[in-house]
Amino acid sequence: MAPFELLEPKSLSEALALLDADDARPLSGGTALMLMMKAGVLRPARLVSLSRLGLEKIERGPAGELRIGAMASLRKLETSEVVRAGWPVISRALLRLSNVRVRNVARLGGHLAHGDPHTDLPPLLSALGAQAQISGPRGERSIPVESLYSGYLETTLQRGELITRVDVPAMGKRRAAYLKCTTRSADDWPAVGVAVVLDGERQTIVVSAATDRPTRLASADAADALPIESDLHGSAAYKKQLVRVYVKRAIHEARSAD
Amino acid sequence: MKRAAPTETGQVGRSVPRLESWLKVTGRAEYVHNLRLPGMLYGKIFRSTVSHGRIKRIDVSAAQAVAGVYRVVTSKEIRQLVPEPYYGPAFHDQPILAIDKVRYVGEPVAVVLASDPHVAEEAAHLITAEYEPLPAVYDEVEAMTSKAIVHDELRPAGTFPDLKHLKGKKNTNVALDFHLRRGDAAKALESAHKVFEHRFHTQQVMHTPLEPLVSVAECTEDSLTLHTASQSPSFVRIEIARLLGWPENRVRVRVPFLGGGFGAKLYIKLEALVAVLSLLARRPVKVSLTMEEQFFTITKHATTFRIKSGVDGGGRIVARECEVWWNGGAYADIGPRVTQKSGFTAPGPYDIAHVAVDSYALYTNLPPAGALRGFGIPQLVWAYESHTDMMARELGLDPLEFRRKNLLLDGATHATGTVLRDAATGKVLERLAALMDWQKPFERGTAGLRRGRGIAIGLKACVAPTTSLAAVSVNVDGAVTVYCGTVDMGQGSDTAMAQIAAQVLGVAAESVKVVHSDTDVTPYDMATLGSRSLFHMGNAVKLAAEDARDKVAAVKKEAGFPADASLKDVFKKKYGMQAGSVLGQASFVPTYTSPDANGLTDNATPFWMVGASGVELEVDTETGQVRITRLVNVADVGTPINPRIVETQLAGAAIMQLGFTLSEKMEFDAEGQLRNASLAEYKIPGFHDLPASMVNEAVDAEQRSGPFGAKGVGETATFGVSPAIANAIHDAVGVRIMSLPLTPEIIFMKMQEKP
Amino acid sequence: MRREVRFRLNGEAVSAQVAPHESLVEVLQQSFGLYGARESCGQGLCGCCTVLVDGTAVSGCLYLATLAENAHVQTVEAGQELDAVQQAFIDSAAFQCGFCTPGFIMMTRQLLDEIPQPSEDQIKHYLSGNLCRCAAYPQIIEAVQLAAKKRRTA
Repeated sequence: MAPFELLEPKSLSEALALLDADDARPLSGGTALMLMMKAGVLRPARLVSLSRLGLEKIERGPAGELRIGAMASLRKLETSEVVRAGWPVISRALLRLSNVRVRNVARLGGHLAHGDPHTDLPPLLSALGAQAQISGPRGERSIPVESLYSGYLETTLQRGELITRVDVPAMGKRRAAYLKCTTRSADDWPAVGVAVVLDGERQTIVVSAATDRPTRLASADAADALPIESDLHGSAAYKKQLVRVYVKRAIHEARSAD
Repeated sequence: MKRAAPTETGQVGRSVPRLESWLKVTGRAEYVHNLRLPGMLYGKIFRSTVSHGRIKRIDVSAAQAVAGVYRVVTSKEIRQLVPEPYYGPAFHDQPILAIDKVRYVGEPVAVVLASDPHVAEEAAHLITAEYEPLPAVYDEVEAMTSKAIVHDELRPAGTFPDLKHLKGKKNTNVALDFHLRRGDAAKALESAHKVFEHRFHTQQVMHTPLEPLVSVAECTEDSLTLHTASQSPSFVRIEIARLLGWPENRVRVRVPFLGGGFGAKLYIKLEALVAVLSLLARRPVKVSLTMEEQFFTITKHATTFRIKSGVDGGGRIVARECEVWWNGGAYADIGPRVTQKSGFTAPGPYDIAHVAVDSYALYTNLPPAGALRGFGIPQLVWAYESHTDMMARELGLDPLEFRRKNLLLDGATHATGTVLRDAATGKVLERLAALMDWQKPFERGTAGLRRGRGIAIGLKACVAPTTSLAAVSVNVDGAVTVYCGTVDMGQGSDTAMAQIAAQVLGVAAESVKVVHSDTDVTPYDMATLGSRSLFHMGNAVKLAAEDARDKVAAVKKEAGFPADASLKDVFKKKYGMQAGSVLGQASFVPTYTSPDANGLTDNATPFWMVGASGVELEVDTETGQVRITRLVNVADVGTPINPRIVETQLAGAAIMQLGFTLSEKMEFDAEGQLRNASLAEYKIPGFHDLPASMVNEAVDAEQRSGPFGAKGVGETATFGVSPAIANAIHDAVGVRIMSLPLTPEIIFMKMQEKP
Repeated sequence: MRREVRFRLNGEAVSAQVAPHESLVEVLQQSFGLYGARESCGQGLCGCCTVLVDGTAVSGCLYLATLAENAHVQTVEAGQELDAVQQAFIDSAAFQCGFCTPGFIMMTRQLLDEIPQPSEDQIKHYLSGNLCRCAAYPQIIEAVQLAAKKRRTA
């Protein structure tokens, strides 16, 4: 790994100031970042740690929404009673997300900002209508999690911007399911990830992994129109079949969810 | 798992907990991975980015200029010390660092030495090389006739007696071609009642031991010590001494525990490199590969196997032709032995009068292939046991019945002309059938989730001829020490050897000390591979222990003491002090007869291994995904020395083979670049891949020529897993897949092809 | 640019000179001679590098040593006697080459701390991030169940 300077700001404004530079990157959990730095893919001169900014809270907001601090670990999210009680689909999805050690260290903000389509929370949070609170050099803004993604490993975050919190609306009468399909060993990055949220007659279906970003399906039959390419997880034709099947199964599972 | 009834004095047949248990559960077991020596330099390898090319230029200047870099080495510097730096067990074809040409993507071209491994790695990124590309060949069958020639000239080694006959060849990619002829298969096929011909493929995979390959060398002016994660320390010593032109006793090779081997850590891997680097630098040198780099070092042969069988009206196989192409990659390693020694078992455990085998080791521009648990047998069984089921189905015969009809039984003559002795083929097949409840009708599941079952049985001949020497000392206080070159890589050899010596000498196995391989101390052993050690070294240790026992008895008698006198008293009288030890030693070399020009011999092997597997599974018909609900492995391992270790070896081998069957594959692009050289993209079995239920059993058997009736077990449960699964998939959904791995996509796509 | 990092290691106050890019495994090996945690896959997938930081299991090969400042780091070498988990691994023959074993032991202790009577499914889930190429998986499941029993009766 190339040497770098580690900075540990104690306030959000200090962190944002440090990040408004080309050669600085934020360090949240560091799981994905460390992999890319070890592989030589990323060689930042400076890493800005976000661990002292107090962004770890998981709590209910005034409108009954779930407020997840960007620095909440995936493991804390998985074991949170608040989440289990109000958004059990998230707890269930986290069970098969990587492994316990990774979840102990990985943070929600980093997980979302990485932009890797072969991850589980982006499609699920998109389907649940979650909002990302973002802070940056030009102030704060709030966008749907779905709008974070512009391509493979590409997000709409501008230079110096950080996700500080993710808000997930209360489930209400909605029912949801997330299914992850792996095609190599059982424990693997998803080849296809499907999130379904049912709200009365309305179906929200978001597909990821087979697509280069979380992609909303207009209807359950719209899988064939998806821009899917062949890769190590499978050919385009096969992945289309998987999307068709898993959309159907996710809808079925959502119907019987609590 | 059947176990021998524990006895108070019995040391063999008892599930003694591994001797090194405390070390392994406290993280204190010694691995070369951990070794740090004062003044040590780390070597980081710069590798070829083209699959075949002449080296025009290597520019190390930028790397050399990095602060903290000690030196950058290419073959130019290597040749100052070793003018002909080529090594290998079969051919001396592999250069320590690339000379003139590179032959596969990932081939080592240069090394950066630095005391900080991060600095070495950063500097290695700054090396550049220019190549003039040459036409490349990747497919084993294509390599037979391709104009792309990997080696301009072949140079045979003389290290192993059975490979001596290899003649150097030019203008060819064929490193070895083995032929076996028994009777007249071509003629018998012409007149057969029905003929079946099929072609099967297996893929290139890697062992991925969790301790990646690693070696350390430290030198004095005229001697060298290699601390290396190696299964073949004696071979390393011989080969390094040869390369340096030194007498063998100036090269010391020591091996602690291995963090897994599976055949990857054999012959020369990093040893020649660190040896020469250490001599150049006059400091200890360590080269420790990353998991990724292992894929560019040694792998398992991909294969193509054309098999043609003729049956008579009664369903008996009367003739078989086997043509096997082994993809050996850019350097031969031990491929020629795989081609020949496994090649002769290509006809399978079947009684066939007319047999023809043609087995070819091919050079291609891929990472080298060598030994991997099973040593070619799993690839062969994959083909012949899939073929067996296909024939049975077409003949309208039950797969078990068809096998019973044709099985080669103990006492019958194998295709090589060797009589099967102590090979419990019949017992293994019958026990498998019983455990599978094969006679009972099988529940087929639903349209969405179809169930199927399948069986397969395979046979392996232990490699021969090989030599093992051992020494056993009995201390004056009765403490026993075993000195042997067998390497414990997790198969439990330390414990087994201790049990054997303990049984002979009447002490508790737990009290025996086993000295790890150190060529300054432990005598010659061919290597720890191919499930040979329990039989060969076990016999040597048994004989050495008996020698020690006899010498103890003699020294007591000679000094006029009764047989139950303590050695302390004897020595006090005889030598004037109650200190000393008695050393027993022995060698074990089983008989062997070289095959004749037809590949035939009446003594091909000192023992056979028999392994069978049965599988029950479900296929999700909408996705092709497979869930194995039951995996049964039955083996002939003779009489187990340590029943629990035997059980874990059967389970471990079968689960490893599951990976090779369902998910593992080295994926190359059109330029020979590997796309999945990491555990993130090359998926090995984890907890969620386990069959819902597993049964592992050793049948009641005895290897009469083995130590206390035992023989090897490490590879046996790899044999039948792949074809049993393919046979079960066919049983479930009626599709037949001819190549590995059996991925969900391949199963699903094949199902769509069915009318 | 090395700087001194102070932390507790297996209960003892220690310090080490650490460069920012050095991992916890590297520092544990180089500065403290502790080799139970090993880098194998280098990607956090195999678990051979498992250590505890403030009671939480992490992949030591991906954990920057600098971030251990003021934390309590625990490795498999802690403790004088074999605990119930280690003894259960021995009794169940739950290792072969042993390279992955410390990682499994560390994770099993965490699992049993959180779920004292885990089902087989829970065991598989919790340990799914630990790989064993020797495939001692069936025996490891037995060991975890035995360790749970030993802890219960202790």
